[in-house]
Amino acid sequence: MSIMRLRAIGRRLRARPADIGDPDRGTPVVVAAAKRLRGSLQLRHVDAGSCNGCEIEIASIFSPTYDAERFGIRLEASPRHCDGLLVTGPVTRNMAAPLRKTFDAVPQPRVVVAVGDCARDCGVFRGAYGVEGAVSDVVPVDLEIPGCPPDPAAIVRALRGLAGT
Amino acid sequence: MTAALLVATALMGLAGTAAGAIAPVRFRIALSSALTIAACALGFVVGAEVLHSGHAAVVHTTTLMPLASFSLALDRFGALFVVITAVVGICAMIFRFGYDGQGLASRTASSILPLFVTSLLLVPAASNVTTFLFLWELMAITSLLLVLTDHARRSEVQVAGQWYAVMTQLGAAALILGLVLLATRSGSQSFAVIAVRSAHLPAWVRSTAFVLAVVGFGSKAGAVPLHVWLPRAHPEAPGPVSALMSAAMVNLGVYGIVRVGMGLLSGGPAWWWLLVMGLGALSAMFGSLHSATSKDLKRLLAYSTTDNVGLMLLGVGASGLFADTGHRALALLALVAALLHVVFHAVFKGSLFLSASSVHQAAGSTDLDQLGGLLRRMPVSGPIFLVGGLAIAALPPFCGFVSEWLLLQSMLHGLPSGDVAIAVAMPIGVGVLALTGGLTAFTFTKAIGIGLLGLPRTQDAERAGEVGRPMWIGAGLLAVLCLVFGVAPFLVIPSVVDAAGAVPGLHLAGALTRGWNVALPGVPGMLAPGLVAIGLVGFGGLVALGRHLVQQRPVRLTEAWGCGRELQTVRMEYTATSFGEPLTRVFEDVLSPARDVDVSHLAESRYYTEAAVIHTTIDDAFERRVYRPADRMLVRWGAVARRVPNGSVHRYLAFGLVALIVVLVVLA
Repeated sequence: MSIMRLRAIGRRLRARPADIGDPDRGTPVVVAAAKRLRGSLQLRHVDAGSCNGCEIEIASIFSPTYDAERFGIRLEASPRHCDGLLVTGPVTRNMAAPLRKTFDAVPQPRVVVAVGDCARDCGVFRGAYGVEGAVSDVVPVDLEIPGCPPDPAAIVRALRGLAGT
Repeated sequence: MTAALLVATALMGLAGTAAGAIAPVRFRIALSSALTIAACALGFVVGAEVLHSGHAAVVHTTTLMPLASFSLALDRFGALFVVITAVVGICAMIFRFGYDGQGLASRTASSILPLFVTSLLLVPAASNVTTFLFLWELMAITSLLLVLTDHARRSEVQVAGQWYAVMTQLGAAALILGLVLLATRSGSQSFAVIAVRSAHLPAWVRSTAFVLAVVGFGSKAGAVPLHVWLPRAHPEAPGPVSALMSAAMVNLGVYGIVRVGMGLLSGGPAWWWLLVMGLGALSAMFGSLHSATSKDLKRLLAYSTTDNVGLMLLGVGASGLFADTGHRALALLALVAALLHVVFHAVFKGSLFLSASSVHQAAGSTDLDQLGGLLRRMPVSGPIFLVGGLAIAALPPFCGFVSEWLLLQSMLHGLPSGDVAIAVAMPIGVGVLALTGGLTAFTFTKAIGIGLLGLPRTQDAERAGEVGRPMWIGAGLLAVLCLVFGVAPFLVIPSVVDAAGAVPGLHLAGALTRGWNVALPGVPGMLAPGLVAIGLVGFGGLVALGRHLVQQRPVRLTEAWGCGRELQTVRMEYTATSFGEPLTRVFEDVLSPARDVDVSHLAESRYYTEAAVIHTTIDDAFERRVYRPADRMLVRWGAVARRVPNGSVHRYLAFGLVALIVVLVVLA
């Protein structure tokens, strides 16, 4: 076994979750959600037309480095079992109706989190012909996470605020 | 008095036959049905009177049939079956007033149907071999003709008729052999004399007669492996006929096994009853498995009949086994459980078959994958089917629960007896009962969930409306009985105990009912169906109240979740085939499903699919492994045999000579 390989194993053994920082609390929506959810937040992710940059960051928050599941945050397959939606990308014309249907399928009370600049205000795609609008133009948004793409730590901070963990 | 009424029953039935044959079209159905109802009512009175008083109704005449006397003697045991048939017959005939499907209005069918009902009413009264075989054959042939009523329009009917004809005649042949063997060996064809003398017959005669009777009656009861006609004939027979066949005719198979095994032969060695239990267990499992994976409503019900007959045979076998090992009280308990299941099965299966026929008339199909949304469209027939389904799934407060509970108790209480045969057979019986109970619940979840709930899958189902009043009254009466007997089984249990007590050698240590409750005499065990019903209603009320109090915001109705897909059609609903798929997969070895995927491509490019069709079929293992090879072999033998008589006169003369020589050698 080479020295390089041993060093790689050593690095892995020493690896600790990244320093995420304190959860974002403060806004009334977040406080209300945290009170209701009490440490468990199940989300359905909807890609409404994203470039998949945000998807990579969302995928990485569940990696060992950020490990959002230890804060009670999970992605679910069915909106029926969820507390809210995690929406990325500008809402394209083809995804507007599916987004509305998914929103409809989530039991109340529900939260909608718009992840990334495109979800907030269409970002670089603003005014493009296939774009219906920002997420808030289609469904009511409770929390926005800025960034293009947002840092995984920022996403975890925001979701921890919602989950109250 | 009862004897005169018994004759009146037969005459009334014959009058119905005559009315069906000669009455003008306008009054044909009304007149023949009304006369049949009258015959059933008379039969009910006779049966009830005999059950109540215990005095047999005896009719004896030597002038009716040449060389043999025609004699009827209805005892308590037979009377129970007459009463069951009468109740089902009345409901089926009321149903028929509104039923116009499947050629039942024709002159032939109208005249045969009363005859069929009459023969069903009289078979349990037959008290000698000739009378019994005559009535039995009358029942077999009339039911065959009724299965065939719609033969001109649908070829499946012809196939079903052929299967039924072959199976019922095979059974009849076995019966004739068995009963004639008993009659000749005991020197009389009267059942009463045979019952006295059979104890002195050699063991092989008794065993042969019993096995032949099990084959003969088993084929009529639809016990596996003689059940193959059942899932074919029932779906093709007109509604009231399939109800009568399933709720009244198959009972007579159970009747026959008990009559011959326990009555004429007064019980026998343990292996007889282990055979009956084995057939019962096999029927119960095979039937429930197939009904769980069938997608045709009537086929599903037919397989479920096989399943329930299996449970009855399980009880009968257990009873014989207990009697053989000297547990008299348990023997009667098991027989009562089996007979109670006969009664309750008749009630719920009759209502299920009649309401399935209502569905057929309203929606034009019994294929579950073509139905849906019928509970809302048929506000009376839908709930009737629901009640029947709950009863057959043995859920309280409906009647199936009581009889299956009793069957379970009788088998469980046999366990401490220490006898090896019992120690092996009873746990298996209990396991079979548990498994079939689960599968039946699964089956009717499917039938109700797919067929009655959801959205209609076809335009016919969408347009379906409630059927005419006579139809839902006929089915509804039986559904009401399901509930009444489930809440207050004390209404029937004493009569059933009396009927079972008519079997020689069985007696009970005490009454089986205590007030509203069912209490096992001699062994611990008690069921309070009335309290269970009150508890269920109370619990349901509490849950509803709790929901009402806890619910903060109004119920929000949204579309079913379909992954946000924009186009959702009813074709995307869950189907009966997909519901049964996991089970089909688990029991692949037994069911051996065949799957065939047909993909057609676009003409422009074969990379694009135009349509994909999947065909799935489930074959009956016995049909595939036993009956079809036997059929092929017979055809092959026939082809060979046809070459022997080749038309040459010389050869025929030689046949005559050879036959003469053989006869001379044998006789010499």
